[in-house]
Amino acid sequence: MGAWYNGDTSGEELALSGVSIICFAGSYAVALALELTRLLFRSGVRGAIMLGFGVAGVLAHTLYLFYRIVESYRSAGALDAPLSSQREWYLVAAWLLAIVYLYLTCYHAKVPFGLFLLPLVLGLIGVGALVADPRPLAREPASAAWGLVHGSSLLLATVAVLVAFVAGLMYLGQDHRLKTKSATSSGLRFPSLERLQEINSRSLVIALIMMGVGILSGVALNLARPPGQKPLPWNDPVVVATVSLFAWLLLSSLVGLAYRPARKGRKVVYFTLVSFVFLVIALWSVLGNVTQHLGRGAWRSGASAGQPSGLAHRSCIS
Amino acid sequence: MNVHVVGCNHRSASIAVRERLAFSPDQARAALVEFRNRFPDVEAVLLSTCNRIEFYTAAETGACPSVEQVADFLTQFHGQQSGEILPLLYEHRGDEAIRHLFAVASSLDSMVVGEPQIPFQVKQAYQLAVQARAAGPLLHTAFQTALKVARRVASETTIQQRRVSIPSVAVTDFARQIFERFDDKRVLVIGAGEMAEETIRYLRDEGAGDITIVNRSADRAAELARRTGGRTLPWEELPRALVAADVVVSTTGAEEPIMTLDRFEAIEAERGQRPLFILDLAVPRDFDPAIGNRPEVYLYSVDDLRQVCERNRADRDKEMPKARKIVDEETSRFMADWRHRATGTVLQQLRQDWEALKEEELRRLFNRLPQLDERSREEIRQSFHRLLNKLLHPPMESLRDEARHGIPRALLDALSKLFQLKD
Repeated sequence: MGAWYNGDTSGEELALSGVSIICFAGSYAVALALELTRLLFRSGVRGAIMLGFGVAGVLAHTLYLFYRIVESYRSAGALDAPLSSQREWYLVAAWLLAIVYLYLTCYHAKVPFGLFLLPLVLGLIGVGALVADPRPLAREPASAAWGLVHGSSLLLATVAVLVAFVAGLMYLGQDHRLKTKSATSSGLRFPSLERLQEINSRSLVIALIMMGVGILSGVALNLARPPGQKPLPWNDPVVVATVSLFAWLLLSSLVGLAYRPARKGRKVVYFTLVSFVFLVIALWSVLGNVTQHLGRGAWRSGASAGQPSGLAHRSCIS
Repeated sequence: MNVHVVGCNHRSASIAVRERLAFSPDQARAALVEFRNRFPDVEAVLLSTCNRIEFYTAAETGACPSVEQVADFLTQFHGQQSGEILPLLYEHRGDEAIRHLFAVASSLDSMVVGEPQIPFQVKQAYQLAVQARAAGPLLHTAFQTALKVARRVASETTIQQRRVSIPSVAVTDFARQIFERFDDKRVLVIGAGEMAEETIRYLRDEGAGDITIVNRSADRAAELARRTGGRTLPWEELPRALVAADVVVSTTGAEEPIMTLDRFEAIEAERGQRPLFILDLAVPRDFDPAIGNRPEVYLYSVDDLRQVCERNRADRDKEMPKARKIVDEETSRFMADWRHRATGTVLQQLRQDWEALKEEELRRLFNRLPQLDERSREEIRQSFHRLLNKLLHPPMESLRDEARHGIPRALLDALSKLFQLKD
């Protein structure tokens, strides 16, 4: 695969070792286009071709991220923390979601999971390539472990919320199809309501646990900051949105435990949709420059320019 | 070689006649033994299902039993009047008999086209004939190929993928879109009709174990519970049963809805908003249609299901030409192979005669040229061998081509006379 497109306006950042963002984004886009043709006609070979593009996309995506890690160790005197930029955070989230897509498509070839998951994958890649900050954070071994835990757990929580969101959307779609008696006429096959609810509930539990770990490790990072470094304010929009999402997930779990009907059917789905809104607000807070999280103005390149250092420049992924 | 089928099916004979002519497995075994005693040179397989009774026969030489002879055999075995049965029997010979067997095994000739049981029944019929020593190499090839054709039709068409009966559509096309598994679900059956029983059978196939039957007539409920392995509750317990249920199958003959929206709303809170699949197979309906608008309730009437059945039936009809084409292709191939095998004796004789001539000529040549070394002798042997194969190739190809349209008796006679082949 050649470097058909260089997603980074600054030069070589995205085109590494011949694999560029456009390679895997293109593969996912073709897979999505093939998924969309399910709405139009049946085909015996479409599943295999679709899976082929999905696998090609994940392979290119994996290579891209792998070379990003290699580059972070090889260039600039090994000062960059690997996969620590906002851009890479989005690309890793998209990669995880693409793997979820591949897994589900392998086991349920006739279910159009891609119709719901691939737009999210492409959306994450798009935000990562076009909006998110590409500058990496500085490597600080002293707090790297906390940073890794913080970033990884929040990343997994994000992916879990996105999977729960997709399962929730599919649940509503399937519910509508069953209510209107159109479930067998559209040519699309959805998983059963029971299975969708199970995916939704499990994803939310994973999101709750990961979010809890992420918040606790974030608190540890904030408290264990090096002397002279500014703490992240507790009322920072990202902190507020993240804690709100966690509180919401916790609340919905507690309500579900206390009141069984809240764990059933569309109520769970509505809880999920609200969780997704919280997640979008948290991500927007980071992208919209309204936070000091991720060391706004304290990226490695910025720090070298004498800008103040912030909290999360010590986290490796987040 | 001859192959022949005589029988009756759901189109040619009423169920009353088919019931009188049907064979249990033990009867079928006894019938095959008796048939073999009566026609010792004939191979036979007896296929007896609820929709067809057919005798497949084949003979290497000589004729297969006629339709009259098979009718006599059937009537004598079952103690019926021959004249009554004969007009209801059909017969197919040669290509048509094989085509019929392939179509039957592929479920193209079934009452419900595409029903999946028939290939299994064909296999069982053949195995029974083997056990009774009634089937031989001819029918072995025919039935093995028939099962192969059935697998090909099932894999290359969607003819077996579309359900067409209301209970099967209800369970496989709708209930499975709501529930992933049924072994932990509670099934409530209201009424004790045939439709209820058939639906229970499909739910059992899906793993449903907890089945409760509620009926105004406690005796009929108990009888259905005995047949299906369910349990019963008094009619007055219906609301309580509905609270516990995940799947409801309602088939009463009530003239007014047995469950109005008000009655349902009274128990709705107790259900804890668990999904409820209601299959209302009654006409007029047992459940107020407004109940279907309640959250987590999925209510389907006979009309909803009938539309799907019709659509599936139309989809199957679309697949029929493709399935028929497969059957025709396989029939042509099978018959060509079968007939070609009939030419084998003549070709074998021809090859043997020419091989003998070749060996004689080689011996004579090697005697006259003793100076030849082993390598030269081997080259000459190979050369003679190739020559023989090249000489045999045209007659073999001609016989193969002719065998596509029937046993090439004229060509075989000509070969025998031209090359003075002995029988």
